[in-house]
Amino acid sequence: MDKTPPSPTVIEARDLKTHFQARSSLIGALAGRQPRAIRALDGVDLAIRRNEIYGLVGESGSGKSTLGMSLVRMYEPTGGEVHYNGENITHVHGKALKDYRRAAQIIFQDPYSSLNPRLTIGQIIEEPLKIHRIGDAAERQRRVEKALELVRIPAEENLHRYPSDLSGGQRQRVAIARALVLEPQFIVADEPVSMLDVSIQASVLEILDDLSRDLGLAVLYISHDIATVGYICSHVAVMYLGQIVEEGTAEDILTAPQHPYTQRLMAAIPSIVPDENRERVELKGDVPSPLDIPPGCRFSSRCPYATELCTTVEPQLVPTAEAHRVRCHLYDAEAVATHPSLEPPTSQAA
Amino acid sequence: MGALAKLNERLRAKPAAHMLVERLSIAYQTPRGPFRAVDDVSFEVAAGATLGLVGESGCGKSTVVKSLMGLLPEGTSVSGRALLNGTDILGLSERALSDVRWTKIALITQSAMNSLDPVYCIGDQITESILAHERVSKAVAWARAEQMFEIVGLPGSRLTEFPHQFSGGMRQRAVIAMALSLNAGLLLADEPTTALDPIMQDQIMSRIRSIHADMRRSMILVTHDIAVVAETCETIAVMYAGEVVEAGPTAQVLQNPRHPYTMGLQNAFPKLPVRGQSRMPLISIPGTVPNLLHPPVGCRFAGRCPFATDLCRSEAPAKLSNSISQSAACHYQDRASEFRAIAQKASTWRHKDG
Amino acid sequence: MRLVMKDSFVAMGVAILLFFIVIATFATVLAPYGPYEVMMTEAGRLDRLARPSFEHPLGTTAYGNDVLSQFIHGSRVALIVGLVAAVAVGFVSTVFGVVAGYFGGLVDDVLMRITDVALSIPTLPFAIVAVSLLGPSVQNIILVISILFWRNGARIIRSAVLTERERIYVKWARAAGASHFHVILHHILPNIVRVIFLWITMSVAFAILAEASLSFLGLGDPTVISWGQMLNTAFSSGSLRTAWWWVVPPCIALTLLVSSLYLIGRGFEEQTNPRLRRY
Repeated sequence: MDKTPPSPTVIEARDLKTHFQARSSLIGALAGRQPRAIRALDGVDLAIRRNEIYGLVGESGSGKSTLGMSLVRMYEPTGGEVHYNGENITHVHGKALKDYRRAAQIIFQDPYSSLNPRLTIGQIIEEPLKIHRIGDAAERQRRVEKALELVRIPAEENLHRYPSDLSGGQRQRVAIARALVLEPQFIVADEPVSMLDVSIQASVLEILDDLSRDLGLAVLYISHDIATVGYICSHVAVMYLGQIVEEGTAEDILTAPQHPYTQRLMAAIPSIVPDENRERVELKGDVPSPLDIPPGCRFSSRCPYATELCTTVEPQLVPTAEAHRVRCHLYDAEAVATHPSLEPPTSQAA
Repeated sequence: MGALAKLNERLRAKPAAHMLVERLSIAYQTPRGPFRAVDDVSFEVAAGATLGLVGESGCGKSTVVKSLMGLLPEGTSVSGRALLNGTDILGLSERALSDVRWTKIALITQSAMNSLDPVYCIGDQITESILAHERVSKAVAWARAEQMFEIVGLPGSRLTEFPHQFSGGMRQRAVIAMALSLNAGLLLADEPTTALDPIMQDQIMSRIRSIHADMRRSMILVTHDIAVVAETCETIAVMYAGEVVEAGPTAQVLQNPRHPYTMGLQNAFPKLPVRGQSRMPLISIPGTVPNLLHPPVGCRFAGRCPFATDLCRSEAPAKLSNSISQSAACHYQDRASEFRAIAQKASTWRHKDG
Repeated sequence: MRLVMKDSFVAMGVAILLFFIVIATFATVLAPYGPYEVMMTEAGRLDRLARPSFEHPLGTTAYGNDVLSQFIHGSRVALIVGLVAAVAVGFVSTVFGVVAGYFGGLVDDVLMRITDVALSIPTLPFAIVAVSLLGPSVQNIILVISILFWRNGARIIRSAVLTERERIYVKWARAAGASHFHVILHHILPNIVRVIFLWITMSVAFAILAEASLSFLGLGDPTVISWGQMLNTAFSSGSLRTAWWWVVPPCIALTLLVSSLYLIGRGFEEQTNPRLRRY
């Protein structure tokens, strides 16, 4: 990926927070107890440029889908700001929101449930145009065919077929065509290939890659599979419990992860080359509930390198190299200087 | 503790099973005719060995599992043999099956969430399965269950908890503990980690590997993830559209695949980059799996294969008869090394997209 | 139509229903006499409780009316009450069910509590009291039936909407900027139309039975003849045990009509619920 003249930022999150109210019990409500907040997304900064696919990686419950849904304003953030082409759209409503919905699209994981089984492929892709009252029938038809062409599905033989006639990979490409027909500038692709067979995943990833390059799209590619991220993303952020714990270029993150969590996540990927000995550190326990976020570093309850400092003081995202930031005391020069017990893990970078 | 020691002794004495599946064919009856989910499949698991059965959705791997556990719907036509230590277990009566399940073959399923009963505590469910087959007291069975929990890395005190109190990973471990409790000669692991997050998946798989190394039970691991097989199994059988297309020792098959489908799968499998090395692009296999209501005449992969000839489209290659030495169901096995070189180029697979 | 061909039970149901619709439509042509026309014998006396004969295929009533003519005219009330009440019930149920199910939250809570209150009304006592207060007429009977039967339908339709609402294409449509109205019209309603239709079919049957019960209890519209009313007159004149030709036809007709609707409904349910579908 050449990155000579930086393209303009399309979408930007600033200290974005989306909290949900846990459903309170009747007795609790009568006793005047405040319902507890689920801090699904807790202070995320992120910027995606034109022509860029930004990878977002994390386990279930890390808040990566919440971030995607908040960026396309399916959720209204409870704190922080979302800027689209420099304009603050965090709390817009009505006409302005509808305009934003035209510019920002989302593709969901499940290609089997994301298309209405009663509509033909042509009707499915045309729907967004009808929602936004764009063009007459002929114009819409032209745009539908163009969108299908972009995802490499022959229009004439597929326009009148139903989703049940298509394979999973074809359905997912139809879902992409439906997102493209409005000519958006920003697309959230939430696990677009994780329900597809391995043998056809590449075809969908390749389409996303071509689209971002040819149409200048900004794409947020959300995945729990860190391996696929390496193929199409220029930048990657790793999320844990509602926060970004590490971010940088895909090359840096995937070949020299620094945060203990990222390192563990990378080590968890089985290798297709047999007899390759992977080094693994057993993590304690499961991901904590976003209702019960541990004090200090959120990863401290499972981190093999955690010290007393980690369980009391929350680390900040600190730059460790150009365009590489890590939320870990081990990489914070100041913290290491004052706490000699901190010993950086044998990083694969070293 | 004398009774528990005796029970453990008795269970430990069970030999690892030898499983030989010969010419297994299974067709589901549908309103539109027979659906040939499995067609002439043969493989073998030596005592104490592991076989990985890999394939993508709809390739028939789960149907094979169901047939071995006697879980196929009524009216399904089954032919061939599945010899467990020399006895055919296909078409056994429900009564005879209950002697085989758990005691001789233990199943670790894909849906751990559903295989535990929500109204009983987990300890009761494990002891119940022990008591159904071993004449010991409940206390002894519970003690055995505690030991199984330790093996899978769960504290024995949590046996009194209910499934909903466990996270997905813990439930999966509880299911494994249950499967181990009678030390069955053959473990059948059907997508044991599919629904789990990568780290949990990895921890469960390494747990399964270390258990296998300690107990040397025979194991069939059914999965769509070729890399999990690469790390776990000695032999591999790759299934495509109801057939085994390539089988043999895992390392050999993955280093020198002979079937174009295996080559394609490898190309499509995402790999982590290595610093300073240029990486092969991901290449997908064009086209879709054939409809098994009307399987094609020739090789079932011919429609997606970049090397297919008229011979492939008219005549099916010979089926594999075993999984011990490397072999592939392909007319052009002898040209495999030539194919391998071309298969690594993305342009090879680009000719028919659709 | 394919549905009809596939299932002989459904075909039977449709045939019976069509038969009654034809009778009701051409009642004035088919009926040999007026429903209240009084028959006289040649001797000039009231021809009461005559056994079936060539002139009166189903005999006469205690008041000298032709049973066949009453029977034919009675089918009109059954069908009109059934259809009109069912459409009203279907409409109210759908609006309640869709609004509650789709919007959820507070709206759902309020609407469902109203439904719960409605569900606690005892059916027959309420119907009797309401019709006697409002006065016995076909319109009032339809009104009372509509008030009574929308509540179950609202719950059934709401639960169908709850499933549809979670579909990813619904989520997607919202993300694409579609209005709630658009989503309901294009993604929710088309997918629950079978459930609504099934409920309407069942409501026709309920309404016909309810009208017959009310008329039998003497709360029917006195100006229009219905099957329930025929049974009521037979009962009040004390001929219920003796004049079988008077009692049996409305009973059989009610049973046939209601069963035909259940048969059709069952066919629809099989289509809607794949678990019931036989291979």
